[in-house]
Amino acid sequence: MTQLLASIGFDRWILHVLLVLPLVGAIPVLLGPARLARGTALVITVLEFLLSVGLWWAVDTNPGTLQLTSSMPWIPAWGISYAVGIDGISLTMVLLTTLLMPLCVLGSWNYITQRERGYYAMLLTLLTGVLGVFVATDLFLFYVFWEVMLIPMYFIIGMWGGKNRLYAAIKFFVFTMAGSLLMLVAILVLAWAVAGRTGTLSFAYQHLLDNSNAVGSLAPWLFGAFALAFAIKVPMFPFHTWLPDAHVEAPTAGSVLLAGVLLKLGTYGFLRFAIPFFPQVAMSPWVTNLILVLALIGIVYGALVAMVQPDVKKLVAYSSVSHLGFVMLGIWAATVQSLQGAVMVMIGHGLSTGALFFLVGMLYERRHTRDIAAYGGIAKVVPVFSLIFTVVALSSIGLPGLNGFIGEFLVLLGSFRPHPVATAIATTGVIFAAAYLLWALQRIIYQKLDQRENESLTDLSLRELVVMVPLLAGILWMGLYPAPVLRKIEPAAIRFVESLRGPLQYQSGTEPTPAVRR
Amino acid sequence: MRSLDLTTPMGVTVALLPEIALTVGALVVLMVNAWRHATPRDSRLSGYLALASLVPSAIALAYLWLGGARPDGAAYMVALDPFRFAALALILIATAGTILLSLGYLEREGLIAPEYYSLVLFAASGMMFMAGAEDLIVLFLGLEVMSVSVYVLAGFNRGSVFSAEAALKYFLIGAFASAFLLYGIALLWGATGSTGLAAIGARFGEGPPPLLGKLGLGLVLIGMGFKVASVPFHMWAPDVYDGSPTPVTGFMATGVKVAGFLALARILYEAFPGAQETWQPVVAALAVASMVLGNLVALSQRSLKRMLAYSSIAHAGYLLTALWPGTRLGSGATLLYLGAYTLTSLAAFGILSVLGRGGEREVTLDSIAGLARRRPYLAFALTVCMLSLLGFPGTFGFVGKWAILAAVVEVKQVVLAVILVLTTLLSAGYYLPVIMAAYMREPGGADSHEGAGLPRPAVLTVGLAVVVVILVGILPASVLASAMDTAGSLGAAGSAPVVGIGR
Repeated sequence: MTQLLASIGFDRWILHVLLVLPLVGAIPVLLGPARLARGTALVITVLEFLLSVGLWWAVDTNPGTLQLTSSMPWIPAWGISYAVGIDGISLTMVLLTTLLMPLCVLGSWNYITQRERGYYAMLLTLLTGVLGVFVATDLFLFYVFWEVMLIPMYFIIGMWGGKNRLYAAIKFFVFTMAGSLLMLVAILVLAWAVAGRTGTLSFAYQHLLDNSNAVGSLAPWLFGAFALAFAIKVPMFPFHTWLPDAHVEAPTAGSVLLAGVLLKLGTYGFLRFAIPFFPQVAMSPWVTNLILVLALIGIVYGALVAMVQPDVKKLVAYSSVSHLGFVMLGIWAATVQSLQGAVMVMIGHGLSTGALFFLVGMLYERRHTRDIAAYGGIAKVVPVFSLIFTVVALSSIGLPGLNGFIGEFLVLLGSFRPHPVATAIATTGVIFAAAYLLWALQRIIYQKLDQRENESLTDLSLRELVVMVPLLAGILWMGLYPAPVLRKIEPAAIRFVESLRGPLQYQSGTEPTPAVRR
Repeated sequence: MRSLDLTTPMGVTVALLPEIALTVGALVVLMVNAWRHATPRDSRLSGYLALASLVPSAIALAYLWLGGARPDGAAYMVALDPFRFAALALILIATAGTILLSLGYLEREGLIAPEYYSLVLFAASGMMFMAGAEDLIVLFLGLEVMSVSVYVLAGFNRGSVFSAEAALKYFLIGAFASAFLLYGIALLWGATGSTGLAAIGARFGEGPPPLLGKLGLGLVLIGMGFKVASVPFHMWAPDVYDGSPTPVTGFMATGVKVAGFLALARILYEAFPGAQETWQPVVAALAVASMVLGNLVALSQRSLKRMLAYSSIAHAGYLLTALWPGTRLGSGATLLYLGAYTLTSLAAFGILSVLGRGGEREVTLDSIAGLARRRPYLAFALTVCMLSLLGFPGTFGFVGKWAILAAVVEVKQVVLAVILVLTTLLSAGYYLPVIMAAYMREPGGADSHEGAGLPRPAVLTVGLAVVVVILVGILPASVLASAMDTAGSLGAAGSAPVVGIGR
């Protein structure tokens, strides 16, 4: 496979094609006839997925550094280039994105009946934006993708969302922009500080990374600006308030993408930018404790709030806050296992929460209500739906054998040695997750079939099955045999930990964080 | 081209060819109006004539710019450097855009008085003199020619009380501001014995100027502050912007701002190159006040025109921030941002001028609800304008804002940069609802947006502006580089940037 790909020069064009194809594809979608819009979008996203699968073989993840790098001058006078690259961590994120996207198109097939052309064009634009964030290796380019991605999501929520969509759309936009504007200033300050030291003004990732200590005493401020931007996106408590609104109001595909992909941009930003640029600040005891506390609040609070939601979509939304708390814990524990776990949670959450949002959307399309109380006992009527719902919910809870378990277990395992107390508290999150999901499951699917409207529910159609099967396959694969994926992530994780270990020893003196190799 | 000796009549004439050509054009239009001034056809004729008379001016400008005209020795009375040429180009663009927007607007509103176009041309020539002045007297004359013409234009809708109010208010406060400026010029003359910018700069040399010089500088800053509508000299702007015919509002927001800011840049950079400690705190205070107040008040506006008026105060704040560092990057950023703001505002006011029709003075968010359903292209153009004004990546506005941020960060003034981005965030609060109303709300009635089509000349302006805004937003390299090159020709270009930008 590797030879085959090399023979067609796959590694030279793939990243560019992945970025350009959806954007170019948006044009026929937007200008063509409305009835062809969804079909065209499906073809493009499936093609995009098939192309991206080749990355699995084409990217050599073993060195742990960025691969398939290429760079073209964009604004040469300012040292800005169009530069992309990919490593094991971004590889998994790219694949997750390209997998979810065709499913989103299929999932919206009958749900979106108005202004289809605009809708599918927005989905495709969003795909370019998200992939761009994952592969950009120039900070200017990264910032552009980071911001540009807002627009399609803003329109998806605002035009095809629920009742309160205008409020949710503007809240989503303003929250994200608040963080990213400060990050923009931080990027500029960083670039100019590095330029002052090296004499070269450049926004290239590696150049800034190598010289990021040039910022001197400004480092805490710059880290703060980056961290704020990413923390809002994750979202970490207390910046999470945009999330329930946006998730609930967005159409199904919007929620799937928000939860499945967009939230990961925040944690990815921490992994790629905020921590590597300012390791001393990030791993200083003060910041570590703050992040851990916020992550724990997120885990516990998100779970508790999810438990009391009468609206099942809101329940899933709040569960995201909880799951992403695990990711933050895993990142800050900064051991190889905890990092692998964090990335696994990112993937697993993308699959299971994405699937949950799809399922909730399918329920909503049938009954036009998301009230948990409006359901009950539907297992008798829609057995296939109920089976899938149960499996997905169990994977989200973290049942061994399904994907959720691997990630959370690795996070807890890797975090235990550096932060035993925090890990202990985080473990309760798993229990709460079981509580709110099983309880919801019970009230929706089991118990008595006591509502007449539910008796005529139809089971999943073929199209809906096609949406769910890839997700279920992913859930089972990650749960039963995650080793190939872990192997892809490991070198990058080791590299990440090694880059921190020096400063860590220097900072904490007596207690170096162990980097446990498997 | 040979360098021009600006002390000889011939040299000055060649140096002033763009201005002269435009003034002649204005006179021709005025002459034609003496015989033809009654019917819509006459009005159109004058409009196209005015448009045509921009061509010789543009050719003269290209001749000077591409020929690399340089003064023989020091520039005297009028500047002869790329910075002036860029200013003239911006003013010509703003003028052409305004004329194109006016063609349909005047007819539709029944304002058949073709003198309008000669006034626009006179104002434009005033702006050109002002932006290219090497001498405070020339600057003042240019400013007065511009102002008087614009006073009349503001009150051009004779049937409207608001237009009359706008004209009167603008005239009274403008006269007041001119007095400040003139007094400042007098004090500077008293301190140095000269009104030439270079001579003043040479007399003051390095370090803070004497008290008389400081007073003069302060009064000049107040006078210019009024013209560019920076807080606290902004009180006139909302009413005047609101009451004037919409294309005139666009002209004020673009042409007058370009002339004001580039003249101010020249004064600060050439007459006070060593006195940065003196003027920087003042400029910073004006900038912060404008950004904060402009954006805050714009948030609470119902009428879109008033909202844009207040937002133009905020943009004056951004531009003052760009001037603040006193470096080449700073003046380059000023130029870039003016370019972005000019194009975007022209398009925005152009769109606004067709939305508010039939005596409907108030265009509110409600009146553009559901615009995208009926007028998809118009809604798209409006969206691009709002995003560019917001400074969103992918638009010219972002390039401008990026350059401003870079300029202040370069001199390690992070606080101003942070204030700029935070106030930008505020502005999202009023730019986004416009997009929201156009796309995410349902049209008010079956007949809403019925007549909201752009007349053909306006399509040209809005369409071109939007295309350029997007193109430069995506591929800004050459525009950025040439703005920085151009800025290098201004006085204090050498004030040691950390890293050499450009060549």
